[in-house]
Amino acid sequence: MKLTNFGSLSFRIMSSIFIVSIIIIMGVFFAFEKINKEAFYNVELQKANLIVKTIEPLIAIDIYFGMENKIQNILEQLMKNEDILSIKILKEQKEVIEVHGKNNYETLFTIKKDIFRPNSKKKIGTIVLNYSNHNYEQLTHKYTNLLVLMLVILLIIFVLLSVYIKDLLKPLRRVARLLRGFSPEKRLTIEPMNQNNEIALILSALYEMQEKVFDYARKQKDINSYLEAEVSKKTKELREQLFVDVLTGLPNRRKLFKKIKEIKNDSALLILNIDDFKEINDFYGQNAGDYVLKEFAKKLQNFLRDEKNIYLYRLSGDEFALFFQQKPSFRTFMRNVNSLVKEIEKMVFEYEESEIYIRVTFGGTMERDGMLEKADIALKLAKEQKKYFLLYNEKLNIQKQYKENMEWVQKIKNAIKEERIVPFFQPIFDVQAQKVVSYECLIRLIDTDGSVISPYKFLTIAQKSKLYPQLTKIMIEKSCQYFQHKETTFSVNLSINDMLDADMVAYIQKSIKKYNVNNKIVFEILETEGVENYEEVSLFILNIKRLGCKISIDDFGSGYSSFEHILKLDIDYLKIDGSLIKNLETDKNSLIVVETIVDFAKKLNLVVVAEYVHNQVVFEIVKSLDIERVQGFYLGEPSENIDL
Amino acid sequence: MLRVFLFSILFIQLLFGYNYDNLVLKAQSSIFPKIMLLDKKVQNKLIDNKIIYTIAYDTSDYQTALHVEEYINSIFKGHFDRYPYKINLVDFSHLSPNTEASALYVLQSSTDNIKKAADIAFQKGIVSFSYDVNNLKDGLVLSLIIEKSTILYFNIKYLHVKNIDFIDSLFPMVKFIDKNSL
Repeated sequence: MKLTNFGSLSFRIMSSIFIVSIIIIMGVFFAFEKINKEAFYNVELQKANLIVKTIEPLIAIDIYFGMENKIQNILEQLMKNEDILSIKILKEQKEVIEVHGKNNYETLFTIKKDIFRPNSKKKIGTIVLNYSNHNYEQLTHKYTNLLVLMLVILLIIFVLLSVYIKDLLKPLRRVARLLRGFSPEKRLTIEPMNQNNEIALILSALYEMQEKVFDYARKQKDINSYLEAEVSKKTKELREQLFVDVLTGLPNRRKLFKKIKEIKNDSALLILNIDDFKEINDFYGQNAGDYVLKEFAKKLQNFLRDEKNIYLYRLSGDEFALFFQQKPSFRTFMRNVNSLVKEIEKMVFEYEESEIYIRVTFGGTMERDGMLEKADIALKLAKEQKKYFLLYNEKLNIQKQYKENMEWVQKIKNAIKEERIVPFFQPIFDVQAQKVVSYECLIRLIDTDGSVISPYKFLTIAQKSKLYPQLTKIMIEKSCQYFQHKETTFSVNLSINDMLDADMVAYIQKSIKKYNVNNKIVFEILETEGVENYEEVSLFILNIKRLGCKISIDDFGSGYSSFEHILKLDIDYLKIDGSLIKNLETDKNSLIVVETIVDFAKKLNLVVVAEYVHNQVVFEIVKSLDIERVQGFYLGEPSENIDL
Repeated sequence: MLRVFLFSILFIQLLFGYNYDNLVLKAQSSIFPKIMLLDKKVQNKLIDNKIIYTIAYDTSDYQTALHVEEYINSIFKGHFDRYPYKINLVDFSHLSPNTEASALYVLQSSTDNIKKAADIAFQKGIVSFSYDVNNLKDGLVLSLIIEKSTILYFNIKYLHVKNIDFIDSLFPMVKFIDKNSL
């Protein structure tokens, strides 16, 4: 409470006024005291001086005329002034006359003035006047008393003022106390004041404010009630939606999970996926796709309405599930599947003026444990194998493969992150020059234990997991960097996806320019891709050759390509498929094919490279066929560094 | 006979010489020169850098005039303050505007002589002192008598005369008179 008082408005007002007034009074007091005291003193001093100045000429002339007796009269007249304590006239330092007054005040001041001969500057004597300080002291005393009285009066006024201000502000304090107990549910009684001042205005405003607050609170309450109802409703809807698919109205994947958890006995699961559903969306539009899904769900429901054991769910997108609460026999299960297949084949979805037909792939499992995953695996495998149905069993070993694939993906990711994807370089020999003239850059993954992993183990996974482009970029970057200052050509393998990827092409061009290897780099592309994607490959070759790079067709002879296609591609090298070279020793047909290829290539002034030369016999054959360049383990294995 | 002769000389003296009060003469001899020095324009009245203190007398008062001269010399010893002076004794019959005088001290004489002296003093613009206070009515400026104390009389007519300017502190000392108050 004490603290509150110190912070109260009345206290602050009063203390401010008090402090300011004290400062002013003290200032005035000291200033005036100093000034006035001096003034009073000076006044008395001037009086004394005036007296002396006045009598000096008279005394001077009396002395001048030698009428010293007259001086006595003058002095006696003077002594009537009670403030003059004594006056002495000295002539030539000798006392002529001295007169004392009646009063005997202790404090005095002495005025001395020289007496000069009239009309001359010659000193003829001195007046010594002792003037009493009594007046001065009385004056200052009176003044001080007056100031003290003023101070006391001021203090009294302050006290009265503070009481008055406190009284003025009392209503405010009362209101503050009242307001402490305010609650939007309990109306306060604010008594109006019969005055026309600020406090009355505040009270009146508070009263109005209270009314508004109450009104607002009431409205808020209504709104809150409404919102609570809506929230409850929405919560219920959301709860329902949690387990219900919005589009089809079927129970959703979450519901299936729950069902599977609840059912303890053996059961079965069939997942069906609408084939190429994306194309329906793309061709007919999203609305058509939604329409098909809704209708499909209805038709399925209709079809299954008599099946008490089968529960239909929509899992996602274009996938549905049929859960067999009680595990049926295999025969029944298959009968259901086949019935469904036939039924779905008959289904026609009429959307606007189009008739849409769908095909479905099924994946199923009759094993309870991990049934969703198993059914899903079976479905994916069925799609891969282009079958309409596959039932999951352990012999598929799919899970293990999946697990391995997952592990490889992580391995590749780690290798990329830790820069363990590196190029190894295999030399390509020029037969005539009998020296290495180029190197093929081959991707390797260095395992955590330091072992080198060949690409056949991880490239397919990389492609499936979309890590392949990263590997290509690493190879481009590292190969270009490695051969930047080396006086030899080098070749890098590119896939059709690489050539179709604008970002990859840009990256390749940037790297070539960065390391200035335009005239050193050779891009090897597979024959089959060159055939299947002729336009894209051709464009890529055109652009890349403009930079000064060379092109090599890899694995030539492995596909069923037309020589005509190859003619149109502006290539520089032709690498004969390894499978043909490997068999040169034993297979006459391979020899004929290789001879034909060499002949063809020479006519086109292409440099031929024989891969997979693994022993001397094959090497000699290759030499005899007049193949310019050879590559293979016989001549050099891929290694991390080269020795130029 | 001799006694008669001497007595008659004395009587003649008594008959024809004024009876001067020595005390007054001494006081006047002492004070009048001092009063003259209270004139702020005293410098204007110097003759050959001297104050010529002229004493006008009747022939019969020659001795008195000499006595006055003696008194003055004994007091002032050749200088009125810093000014050297010369006493100039002049018979009334020889007194004229050409008479040299910085100040004029007039002993007793006839009214005509007094007036003449007063006029000459006025013309010259010099202070005139009178032995007899009654002569102030005839135009002289200052006189002095001794009663209980020394009293100076000042002819009020000469309060604002052109060439005479006394210091203010003189005036409280003096009594002002005009011809009506005598």
